[in-house]
Amino acid sequence: MKPLDPRLLRRAAGARLFLLGGGAIGFVQTLAIIVFAWCTAQSVSRAIDGATLDELAPLLAGLGAAVLVRGACIWATDAAAAAASSRVKGELRAQAVTAAVRLGPSWARGRGTAALATVLGAGLDALDAYFGKYVPQLILTVIATPLLVLVMLVQDPLSGVIVIITLPLIPVFMILIGWATQAAQKRSWSRLQLLSAAFLDVVGGLGTLKIFGRQHRQAARIGAVTDDYRRDTMKVLRISFLSGFVLELAASLSVAIVAVQIGLRLLDGAMPLSVGLFVLLLAPEAFLPVRGVGVQFHAAADGLAAANDVLGILDEADAAPATSEGAEPPSTSVAGSPGSSAAASAAAPTRARRPSPAHLEITGLSVAHDGARVLDGVTAGASAGAITVVVGPSGAGKSTLLNAIAGLDGATYHDGGMILLDGRPLDRADVAWSGQQPGLVSGTVAANVALGDPAPDEARVAATLARVGLNDVAPSAPLGVGGSGLSGGQAQRVAIARALYRLEGRGCRILLLDEPSSALDSASEQLVIGELRSAAASGAIVIVVSHRPALIAAADAVIGLEEVARV
Amino acid sequence: MSERTRTRTVLRLAQPPARRFVPGVLVGALGAGSAVALLACSAWLIARAAEQPSIVYISLAVVGVRAFAIARGAFRYLERLVTHDAALRQLTRLRVELLERLVPLAPDGMNAIGRGDLLTRFSRDVDELQNLPLRVLQPALVAGVTAVGSVVFLWFLSPTAAIALAGCLAVAFVAGTLLHATVSARADAVIAPRRGAVGAALVDLLSSLEALIAYGAVDASLNRVAAADAALRRAETRAAIGAGLSSGVVSLAAGAATLAGIVIAVPALRSGTLDGPELAVIVLVPLAVFEVCAMLPAAVGASRSVRSSAERVASAVPDVVPAELAVDDADARPLAPGADSTLALRGLTARWPDGGGAIGPLDLVVRPGERLLVRGGSGAGKTTLAHTLVRLLDYGGSFSVGGAEARELQQDGIRTLIGLCEQQPWIFDATLRDNLVFARETATDAELTAVLARVGLADWAASRAGLDTALGEHGSRVSGGQAQRIALARALLADFAVLVLDEPTANVDADRADEVLRDLLAAASSDGRTVILISHGEVPADLVDRTVTLVDGRIPA
Repeated sequence: MKPLDPRLLRRAAGARLFLLGGGAIGFVQTLAIIVFAWCTAQSVSRAIDGATLDELAPLLAGLGAAVLVRGACIWATDAAAAAASSRVKGELRAQAVTAAVRLGPSWARGRGTAALATVLGAGLDALDAYFGKYVPQLILTVIATPLLVLVMLVQDPLSGVIVIITLPLIPVFMILIGWATQAAQKRSWSRLQLLSAAFLDVVGGLGTLKIFGRQHRQAARIGAVTDDYRRDTMKVLRISFLSGFVLELAASLSVAIVAVQIGLRLLDGAMPLSVGLFVLLLAPEAFLPVRGVGVQFHAAADGLAAANDVLGILDEADAAPATSEGAEPPSTSVAGSPGSSAAASAAAPTRARRPSPAHLEITGLSVAHDGARVLDGVTAGASAGAITVVVGPSGAGKSTLLNAIAGLDGATYHDGGMILLDGRPLDRADVAWSGQQPGLVSGTVAANVALGDPAPDEARVAATLARVGLNDVAPSAPLGVGGSGLSGGQAQRVAIARALYRLEGRGCRILLLDEPSSALDSASEQLVIGELRSAAASGAIVIVVSHRPALIAAADAVIGLEEVARV
Repeated sequence: MSERTRTRTVLRLAQPPARRFVPGVLVGALGAGSAVALLACSAWLIARAAEQPSIVYISLAVVGVRAFAIARGAFRYLERLVTHDAALRQLTRLRVELLERLVPLAPDGMNAIGRGDLLTRFSRDVDELQNLPLRVLQPALVAGVTAVGSVVFLWFLSPTAAIALAGCLAVAFVAGTLLHATVSARADAVIAPRRGAVGAALVDLLSSLEALIAYGAVDASLNRVAAADAALRRAETRAAIGAGLSSGVVSLAAGAATLAGIVIAVPALRSGTLDGPELAVIVLVPLAVFEVCAMLPAAVGASRSVRSSAERVASAVPDVVPAELAVDDADARPLAPGADSTLALRGLTARWPDGGGAIGPLDLVVRPGERLLVRGGSGAGKTTLAHTLVRLLDYGGSFSVGGAEARELQQDGIRTLIGLCEQQPWIFDATLRDNLVFARETATDAELTAVLARVGLADWAASRAGLDTALGEHGSRVSGGQAQRIALARALLADFAVLVLDEPTANVDADRADEVLRDLLAAASSDGRTVILISHGEVPADLVDRTVTLVDGRIPA
């Protein structure tokens, strides 16, 4: 394990600053330790030689000053470390969420949004212990230990040499044991994540388990799995604590050796007591930071593993092609296949021939998902003024087609083909879309309806909600995370209202709805169909995925998709 | 039970039993004591040697120095193993216990907790509870035992010096902990909820990313994450100042103890009540004692975080089950084997814990083998009825199963007879096989494949990885229709005598809805199974024997 990840230093300014500031504080702290040890040793030896308290006063004053400076340095290090950790977490989190957005929704789903939220949220908190406990000791190892050893060498070369010989044993053992446990540590961390995901999965599915009478058995299984984790972790800990054991032992034994050999030389009168005491006080201080590094090995491993998860996402985003969709609206959602520009210019005359009404042209669209082809050379069209319904069996790629038109996750899974609106590439601003999942967020109902509108029009929000039959839902009603607090049908209608609000407010050309009435009763469904009808009448291209007879009956045109495997 | 009592209950759950905890404290105190003894012994050895006695007089000290040096490392290693093992064992118990407490609430009493918040509470906060034995009680007790032991030891050399050390330790204990508590009390309490807020903002962003992109609202959502993060950072920085201050004060108290040792011991030396080596011991011992005590402020800090996590966990698992949910009475009977599956509702009323979806009074008799359609619009109380029939929701009036009053029977027993296919079935992040087999654990792969064929999933499964197909987190790799079919397959596997289907074809393609219903009802009636189909839509008349319509929670005459 590398004690510092260079990528962490590169990505987080807070980490670099802390190394500098912590180094300065560590230097002052080391000087205070040396002064303290010297004053203490002098006081004791002079007192034994018969000095009175009055004669010791200057030494005691120096001792007091050193104590004050040391205390201040300890406070400053702790405060700076916590502030730095907080800053680094913020920096990494900000970069990582941007990266996640750049990598797109299907990437996020593939990683598991809950697991991802843990990595970017609670997971990063492991850096607190890393910066608070590990890095300061690392800094002191680099600054305090050499300085203290140097002073010992000057004062008593033999003691200095003993420490110099023992000290390197510690990193050697640390590296050896670190190598032995690295893979296990990593496994342990990823298992911990799997475990908490499994635990949450059971919590979420508890209702389903209860229906099948499996709730207690599943709880017992979580117990068994967690206990397995404990046994495995203890195996890792037995070895990784061994490195702590070696550190402690090397440190205390070398202090013991220094003490004994100083004692024997004092016995011969070969050195003054003040020097002996001074060296005895410095020896443990020289080992203290090294021991701290060893003791905090776990904190470091956890912190670095957590940082590595986030840094991995950043690296992945950097490696992703620059055309990948992100927060910035793309100029085109058409796949960058080599033939597309030629095809686009070939399509231009089409626009000249047919200036109105607006027409959406999909040619040879292929989409692969997880390596499996979901759409294979789909060619279809839809005109303004009409309701076009996409039908097909489960898994035929109806939602995929809609998302491709909306330019969602486009570049990550477009395989080829093109989508043109009146002969020009489609812009996301042309589209008002609503997916199969309502995709609501926490905030008020009104904020969800006016999502993305910098200047929400409250009256229009209320009117739009009423039009989809949501008179009973107050626009000011607060929703929980993921839009919780509404029934399935209500959430679905809020999502439809959101799409209608955007369609009208932004002058979008295309309305795309995925199964808009799957959770609605027939009266509500009729309201929605009426809204689709009037959207079409006002000149929008309306494309709806649905299997509901009423909606299909209302269709002016139908796009039928078949399962790719059967084509 | 009050909020505080509940928090205490959670904390008690997090604390390992004495037989696992006490050995760790003892071993830890021996290790810390060895560290103090090592320095005391070394100081005495050096100061005594400076008097140049015969080597015989210091040989015991030489042995002592080496022994304490080895003992310190060995005890410390043991301490860490023992305490971590105890803490991890307790984590297992804690998770299981919390799950068991959620069981009576699931699923209708759990809606109040948001997903992101639940995520934080059950990962971050539950893990945090491990720190109670590990980073709060263990270091505090070890430091306490070591401090008392050292003071007692000094008492034999110089009672005054012992009192001075005790005074400095007390200052360090009290000032360090009190100061820490005062400065960071408020900050600590806001850190956990702010972490929850960051988690919630992240879940909002990541799980609704598609919609946010489509609506150009990604930046706003990113800003929300940033704002939550900034609020968290302010709280964390405030806590940092507190933690640092108390460490600083402990360090000052340590220095003061050394100073006090010199000031007390020097006159004693001159008056002859102390000798030189004893003076060295008195001056140097505090250094080692305070090294042990330096972990106290961290322990106090950890205790605050643990407490605030315990409070959040406690509030996620209320101990009082809402009256609307079904709870087994202590004298509830198991369902008699081979019980008749006639269901009779007389004046039945029920509603959600939030008071919504109320139904009743309802009168309805469902005979064995009957295929009943319950129709109704949104909000008519269809799902309330479905959850009442499987005893997830409690009821007023009467509901008898095979002639026995349902509330006098054990819920689990009733649910072996009456099954429910939920409107939003939960798909576990596992394989297709794992998502089916829990409904009948003895099922063979052939049986699973056969049931998949009955719900029209055979081709789909075959085109994927068969029963090994991974369904993804919350079923992210299956469509809404496929999720419903999987739920249907589970219900068929469990072979309930009465099967309640809550909108089973809401997300199934229209052209296959009839086919699936036909398959299902055919399979059900061939076993003589009762089927209660709940739907807002039309169902082909030949598929059901009888239709009742639910309007505002009642069946109009």
